[in-house]
Amino acid sequence: MLPLVSLTLFLPLVGAVLILCLPKPTARTVHSIAIVSAALTLVGALAMWLQGVSGDGFSQVEELEWMPAIGAAYRVGVDGISLPLVLLSAVLFLVSLIYASSLRDRPRAYVALILLLETTAIGTFTALDGILFYVFFEVSLVSMYFMIAGWGHEDRQRAALMFFIYTLLGSLPLLLAILGLYLGSPDPTFDMRAWIANPPLEGAAAMWALIAMLITFAVKIPAIPLHTWLPAAHVQAPTVGSVILAGIMLKFGTYGLVRFALQMTPDAFREAGIVVLVFGVVSAIYGAFAALAQTDLKRLVAYTSVNHMGYVIVGVSAAALTLDPAVRATALDGAVLQMFSHGLVTGALFFLVGMIQERAHTREMGEFGGLLKTVPLLGWSFVLAAFASLGLPGLAHFPAEFQIFLATLGTTPIAVVVILGIAIIAGTFLKALRETFLGEPRDRWNKMPDLSPREILAVAPLLVLTVATGVAPSWVLDVIHRTTSALVL
Amino acid sequence: MGRDLALLAPEIAVLLTAVGALIAEMLRRPRISLITAVVGLVVATGLALRLLGTDTTIFGGSFRIDTLSTWAKLILLPATVLSMLLARVDVRGSAREGTVYSLLIFSTLGALVLAGAADTMFLVLGTLLTGLATFALVAYPDTDPATEAAMKFFVFASVTTSIMIFGLSYWFGASGSTLIADLPAMDSMPLAVILGFVAVVVGLGYKASLVPFHFWAPDAYEGAPLSIAAYLSVVPKIGALFALTQVVRDLPPEIGWTAVIAGLAVLSMTYGYLAALVQDNVIRLLAYSSIAQSGYFLLGILAVGSSELALPSIILFAAAYAAMNLGAFAVAATTGRTLNDFDGLGRTRPLMGIAMVMFLLSLVGIPPLAGFVGKFMLFGAAIDAQFTWLAVAAIVNSVLSLAVYLRIIVPIYRSGESASAATDPWHGIVVITAFAATLIIGLAAQLFIV
Repeated sequence: MLPLVSLTLFLPLVGAVLILCLPKPTARTVHSIAIVSAALTLVGALAMWLQGVSGDGFSQVEELEWMPAIGAAYRVGVDGISLPLVLLSAVLFLVSLIYASSLRDRPRAYVALILLLETTAIGTFTALDGILFYVFFEVSLVSMYFMIAGWGHEDRQRAALMFFIYTLLGSLPLLLAILGLYLGSPDPTFDMRAWIANPPLEGAAAMWALIAMLITFAVKIPAIPLHTWLPAAHVQAPTVGSVILAGIMLKFGTYGLVRFALQMTPDAFREAGIVVLVFGVVSAIYGAFAALAQTDLKRLVAYTSVNHMGYVIVGVSAAALTLDPAVRATALDGAVLQMFSHGLVTGALFFLVGMIQERAHTREMGEFGGLLKTVPLLGWSFVLAAFASLGLPGLAHFPAEFQIFLATLGTTPIAVVVILGIAIIAGTFLKALRETFLGEPRDRWNKMPDLSPREILAVAPLLVLTVATGVAPSWVLDVIHRTTSALVL
Repeated sequence: MGRDLALLAPEIAVLLTAVGALIAEMLRRPRISLITAVVGLVVATGLALRLLGTDTTIFGGSFRIDTLSTWAKLILLPATVLSMLLARVDVRGSAREGTVYSLLIFSTLGALVLAGAADTMFLVLGTLLTGLATFALVAYPDTDPATEAAMKFFVFASVTTSIMIFGLSYWFGASGSTLIADLPAMDSMPLAVILGFVAVVVGLGYKASLVPFHFWAPDAYEGAPLSIAAYLSVVPKIGALFALTQVVRDLPPEIGWTAVIAGLAVLSMTYGYLAALVQDNVIRLLAYSSIAQSGYFLLGILAVGSSELALPSIILFAAAYAAMNLGAFAVAATTGRTLNDFDGLGRTRPLMGIAMVMFLLSLVGIPPLAGFVGKFMLFGAAIDAQFTWLAVAAIVNSVLSLAVYLRIIVPIYRSGESASAATDPWHGIVVITAFAATLIIGLAAQLFIV
């Protein structure tokens, strides 16, 4: 039996090392190696998908001794909550590398950083050991910092620094929580499965651990009021950086919310659930309004992420609050599917905004107009992604948000005001579409070329998956539901 | 007696090496002196390996052969070899090259004596042995700044060491014994115990450059040759911190010494990083950073006796600290002494740039590097000893430290031409070794925990 999870996890890293070891490779070789290793990773993720999950606990677990004296080990595996995120990472990184293959400015380091990020992303989602999780969680910061600082836009140094300090400050409380869980375990171990099966902390200790985790994950997600690093980092990051940041790294936060906060301190979460829920609602509505106020396309998309991740928080806290297992499963199904969908849709949106910027060197909506006529492929792709983002039925976000609202209605009806967010986001995108793509084309942009084959290859898979998830969500939901329905809190 | 000497084989080998290096110097053969020194220290390290797992005392309970003192050898001897290779670049061709090697080894011997001390007399002996050798090393270049640095160092050391000896006299007076292990027996005089303890903290604290006994450190580091600064920041410091660990092992917690240590930890970490934040001179910045890192050790030291994690965390962090700090100094030695010298290092010499970034990130405590595992264990030990607030303070300081180290990292990847001093092959070797150690200690921390 092949150690499938470890192979998938380390394939990108192998590619990165290979690229760094080659003496003076051409840009072409570099990109080819990167795309091949990301493609192999996708094959690995698909194979994991085919193996599926058993539903109860974790499947495809691989273990190796690391520091037995303190009960830390290399432990990886997946369940229905992490498997979709692994698949999402594999897809998103592959298309990112395809998109990046035109880069000629120090491609080696750039591509190696992307591949390193891929390993840390898959590692974060598959780690079953507290220390291992933290290691992947933190290393991702370092690679993202260098990506923004090295290849970002005008104000990249400041944005990268802010991102790094903010998120490092944010993740240290998690370290305390992990230490607390470790020292609280009857038989000290870093095995996350043991922490989930038998939450080691209770009472005030559990509440402190939960608060520490919530701080960490709120920064990552990002949730109000810890979101202020996000617009700067997104706007200054190179396109691929934004795609990965929004598509994958924001999920570290929501995934941690489910895996750590909900599963390891369930009672404390139930007690504090209503507070978390309020933060989610405020985040969602604030994100929507903030997006509405933007004139810069990239900032607009960045703020819609705050809104969409707000729904996930609402879903997870609804799951914590409810006592009915069926409702809880619905809430978590929605939350996990929302993470998956958001990766696809926002990934596509950031790509398309990046393509517009590359052509026009501006992201101000007011500068454009009628782009649908000049660049129809790009335009219609954006329209499709925008409609998906605003939650149109038949596209990826709809089934996810629908389930979240359904479960919320069943537990804390008042929280359904969060639905307002959808209306505002709809207005936001319609405004953006009108200003950028509709109306009379301007002469300035007459010469703008439409999507190149490379760009189509980058965006098309995301759009296809968006439609597939919207029309027949069961292909993802079945996997998610198998775990969420068996979850005991 | 024969058994005692056999257990002392590594120390004896170190002593013989120092003498050998000195003899070669008398014959005016600096190369031979260097080779003797390196070979001797490697042999001594090998001898120490055999002692892993031994836990006993020798010479009537006055010297410990235990995990701590054995790991002190395994960490400090290789660290001395690396410092010596760095020193080779500084002193090659100068008049008294071999003396430097010999003094380095004598000082290391002092650090080893400190790390195994189970008797107050060994504390004094170790302090004086490291002290005398390092004063000479700092003054070695015979320039005004070096002489001034050595003077400050010397005066400060004399005062603190005298205070320590004065305090030790309380312990002797109260217990009638110089053995540290006899201290718990004198419950009747808690004041004498705590006075003696404070005096010992002063004496060892200066060597470990803990705030508020740190004043000499930035000046001495700046005035001394870089290789000596690197050495000072690692070997005598770890020796002193291990000695402090040995001292507190026998102290009953009731006398409140943990609070003293916790207070010093917060002071050292916070003041060290705050002061580092405003330095433009890389050496001073690293000096303050090493003051702050000393504070982290104290998290493990105060948990000695109440947490199983304490000793492993101290050892692990010592190994990590030695690797990353020597590495950072070695890169600084090839690059320059001001922050501007680091402009564009990542472009002109990418490997040096990557290595420096790794050392600095490890100092911050970013996984999976050595510094992370070390700090992680230290935090765990502190929480286990019911000092959660201190772990939180240490974590807040880690964030502060990021701002400090980013001041070096950011220019490395700024566009610009670093006025690259020619890289000496010895520097390269030291950087690569330290780099490998920083990675390996991070990934294979298990080796240090047993």
